[in-house]
Amino acid sequence: MEKSTFQDVNAQVVQRCREGDNRAQYELYKLYSKAMFNVSMRITNDYAESEDVLQEAFMSAFKNLHSYKAEASFGSWLKRIVINASVNAIRKRRSELVPLEERIAGDIPDEEESDDTEWQVEKVRRAIQRLPDGYRVVLSLYLLEGFDHAEIAEILGISESTSKSQYSRARKKLLDIIKDSETMV
Amino acid sequence: MKDRLKEFVNENREDFDVFEPRPELWQEICSELNAQSAQEQATRKEAKMISISFGERLNFSTDLLFMRVAATIVLLLACGLTLWMVKQNSPVSNNTMAAASEQVQLNQIAPELAEVEVYYTNQIKQKREELSDYDVKVLGLDEARSIDRELARLDSSYTQLKNQLYTTPNTDQVMGAMIQNLQIRIEVLNRQLEVLQKIEQIQKQDNTEPEYNETTTI
Repeated sequence: MEKSTFQDVNAQVVQRCREGDNRAQYELYKLYSKAMFNVSMRITNDYAESEDVLQEAFMSAFKNLHSYKAEASFGSWLKRIVINASVNAIRKRRSELVPLEERIAGDIPDEEESDDTEWQVEKVRRAIQRLPDGYRVVLSLYLLEGFDHAEIAEILGISESTSKSQYSRARKKLLDIIKDSETMV
Repeated sequence: MKDRLKEFVNENREDFDVFEPRPELWQEICSELNAQSAQEQATRKEAKMISISFGERLNFSTDLLFMRVAATIVLLLACGLTLWMVKQNSPVSNNTMAAASEQVQLNQIAPELAEVEVYYTNQIKQKREELSDYDVKVLGLDEARSIDRELARLDSSYTQLKNQLYTTPNTDQVMGAMIQNLQIRIEVLNRQLEVLQKIEQIQKQDNTEPEYNETTTI
């Protein structure tokens, strides 16, 4: 319900963008730039790179607006572009996005997080930033961008099981980092 | 556990978006967008113009196409109709010529010809009858055969002319030739008659003259 009205609101703006209206383009940019920038930040973990990604993604989105069919919301369409651009950015940086895949997937003991640690957004966020690329990307896509493992597998070009195991390892690592930071403080 | 982390993130989803791009970034994107579109327009100006004009004309051209198809159909129909009518007017007579009596067709093409034909054929018949009165062989005229040949030749050329009458548009010329043909025949027959009459006269004279001759000689 909310989504459909949202889409309808955007439809006019999107149409104006198609006609090359700069103000309409700015409206879409205002609406999505922050969220998209953070999506990119979580994947690339690099401010300058994320700006490049954002710029590239918006350029590409405005250029290929004709191929956007209103099947999905404009936001999710744009998000997919941003994610692809971000993933490409890291790929350029590192030859292998998921280097940990080859490590023996040891048993990841189910963390019995007995103590109800009061997670703080900022701590978790910083911990995510400290994750290695391979972990961070999968974890971010799963936790924050709301993709399931099948979708992540498709985006990263890995198998679904790899995505799952990668996520559980990333999650363990994340909790370790959080714990470490707590003890350090 | 896993759920707890996910839940936590979901609950605080918004708070994770802490970064913001530099505000100047839009200016960069905007200027690059304009630069790109300007460049595109510069490099692809012709192509774009063509595509635009093509796009604009596409609707029109579909109409035009329809019009063209319609015009072609109309033209073809018109051509077909004229051809059909032409066929009806001339070659149909050709087709029925064999079936229908020639006389009817002749009356259509040259109504006066029938009358003329009847007149001359009667004359020719008459002349021939007159000729047959003379016993040509007895008279010792070898040329009679050549006259027959001449008459046969004239007759065949006459039928040829008559056939031409159905195909040639210049019916007057053909008609003139036909009448001339008939007249020549009569002329030939007249000459023959004259010759025969002269011979007869000479023979009559010969019959009487020997007496004179005899008398004179005697």
